[in-house]
Amino acid sequence: MREIKQYLHLYKVFTFQFIKGILQSKVDFLIGLFGFFIVQFTNVYFLFLIFNKISTIQGWSFNQVLFIYGFSLIPRGIDHFFTDNIWTLAWQLVLNGDFDRYMLRPLNLLFQVICERIQPDAFGELIVGILLLISSISKDVVQANLLNCVAFVISIIVGTIIYTSIKLIYASLAFWFKISGPFLYTAYQIADFAKYPITIYSRVIRIIISWIVPFAFVAFYPSTFFLHNNTFLQTIGIECIIAVIFSIISYYIFIKGTKNYESVGN
Amino acid sequence: MKVMIEVNNITKEFISAKKYPGFFGAIKGLFSNEKVIKKAVDNVSFSILDGEIVGYIGSNGAGKSTTIKMMTGILTPTSGSCMINGVNPSTQRKKNAKNIGVVFGQRTQLWWDLPLSETYSILKEIYQVKDIDYNNRIEFLNEVLNIGEFWDKPVRVLSLGQRMRADLGASLLHNPSTLYLDEPTIGLDVVVKDNIRKAIKEINSEYNTTVILTTHDIKDIEELCNRIIIIDMGKKIFDGSLKELKSKHGFYRRVKFEVKNLDKEYEKKLYKILKIINEEIKIEFDLEKNLFYVFFDKKCIQVTNIIKNVMSLVEVNDIVIQEEELSDIIRQIYKHKI
Repeated sequence: MREIKQYLHLYKVFTFQFIKGILQSKVDFLIGLFGFFIVQFTNVYFLFLIFNKISTIQGWSFNQVLFIYGFSLIPRGIDHFFTDNIWTLAWQLVLNGDFDRYMLRPLNLLFQVICERIQPDAFGELIVGILLLISSISKDVVQANLLNCVAFVISIIVGTIIYTSIKLIYASLAFWFKISGPFLYTAYQIADFAKYPITIYSRVIRIIISWIVPFAFVAFYPSTFFLHNNTFLQTIGIECIIAVIFSIISYYIFIKGTKNYESVGN
Repeated sequence: MKVMIEVNNITKEFISAKKYPGFFGAIKGLFSNEKVIKKAVDNVSFSILDGEIVGYIGSNGAGKSTTIKMMTGILTPTSGSCMINGVNPSTQRKKNAKNIGVVFGQRTQLWWDLPLSETYSILKEIYQVKDIDYNNRIEFLNEVLNIGEFWDKPVRVLSLGQRMRADLGASLLHNPSTLYLDEPTIGLDVVVKDNIRKAIKEINSEYNTTVILTTHDIKDIEELCNRIIIIDMGKKIFDGSLKELKSKHGFYRRVKFEVKNLDKEYEKKLYKILKIINEEIKIEFDLEKNLFYVFFDKKCIQVTNIIKNVMSLVEVNDIVIQEEELSDIIRQIYKHKI
């Protein structure tokens, strides 16, 4: 318990220092945020163009697709906000030996990687996601009753854990390959599939995004709880199980990796 | 006295893919599965007592840093083990980290963009140093390292000497029982080097901190270390005091002659006459300064013999007889001459 308190306190200290740094370069911050807005809005606009020509895709209406899309953006955004430094692990930390520094401090290694940075660009994803969600509620695509709200919050938290776990698995490969950015990038590209109803894809892609890089459990499967009245266990229940399994696997691979860390010569 | 560091048959192997020369070699490398195993540290053992200052030396790539990295918990040994104050760094990394201080001369452990004061207060939080201890510590560090001079400056604007002092201070905030210094004086000017050495001495005597130090600067060793361990190609080749090393290997002597006139003709004659005494004698000429050095094994040849022979040939202004310096001995060990 005391340890958790110390970590929370340290997280606060690190984050304050980081924010201080960001505020000194306001321009970077605003440009990053603006860029992510543009990307998200063009994506939504693209959906809008397609659905102008065809009213439904395999039984999914435009509004339902938008809900799934918005739903998927929120865990992605939260993960992006808190654990963006995992990307640095994939690209640089192992390659140039900066990971030494973490090994020398009496703190949890994953905590040290994560607390080094927060990523305000993530607000782009979060804001668009929340806007789409609000519009889904106002258009009566989903109901905002108590049960749905609780289920939604659980799904968001668990979905974020899935995102972080997958990121960590691929980033940890850097301990063996020195750079794992390309692997992680590929996994992230696959996540784009999971922003849409996965029933529109071929079997192979469905299997990949359900069981190999289980991004489909982040938004699509849970969304059927809200859209199709599937049971809680069938949807968010499975999401929870997937999150537990993948977070254990990813942390195990990460720790294994740190044992295999080779540093660099002088 | 208490044993602080116990290293037992520690070995570290690095496995890498075999590389072939040239462009086509690179393509071949893509498809080949051959591996090359390099033993960076090969079955090294030693133990170090509480409060010792030990110089860990060797040429580039000899395995010094790899050993230090295993002792600090950065690298996991391939086989063998080490115990630092009863803690195994590869299985109890966090516990070990609380008790050690580390400075790598080549890279800083500090936060690049933060003022030193804030870096230190973050470290205070990480190591959970109490306020009283922290204040005492800072006072002491300011005395020996004069860190107050750049207390409010961000680390990135510090000069190399200042940064090294800052790094050394940072590694000591939590009063570690062992301090690892990997080339702490690299790239520094003579004055700063001197200050750093003084600081290390003072830290050692004030807090009885065990210090392990790698360096290429022989003066570091002569002034700081009462014991040295030499490692070459991953293997330990010497472990003992400076005196022992000198008595064991220091049988070379050097005589410097300053003469009136030195030209090519004399050079040849000198060669002839000295080579008659002993084939092993080496001579180095500095024609511009009218100087030459004669190197010889003091166990076989008497100095007087050499001087007599030289004086019979040229007019000598000055003679200096020098005991071989540590750097010469170490250079010879590196070259596998001994």
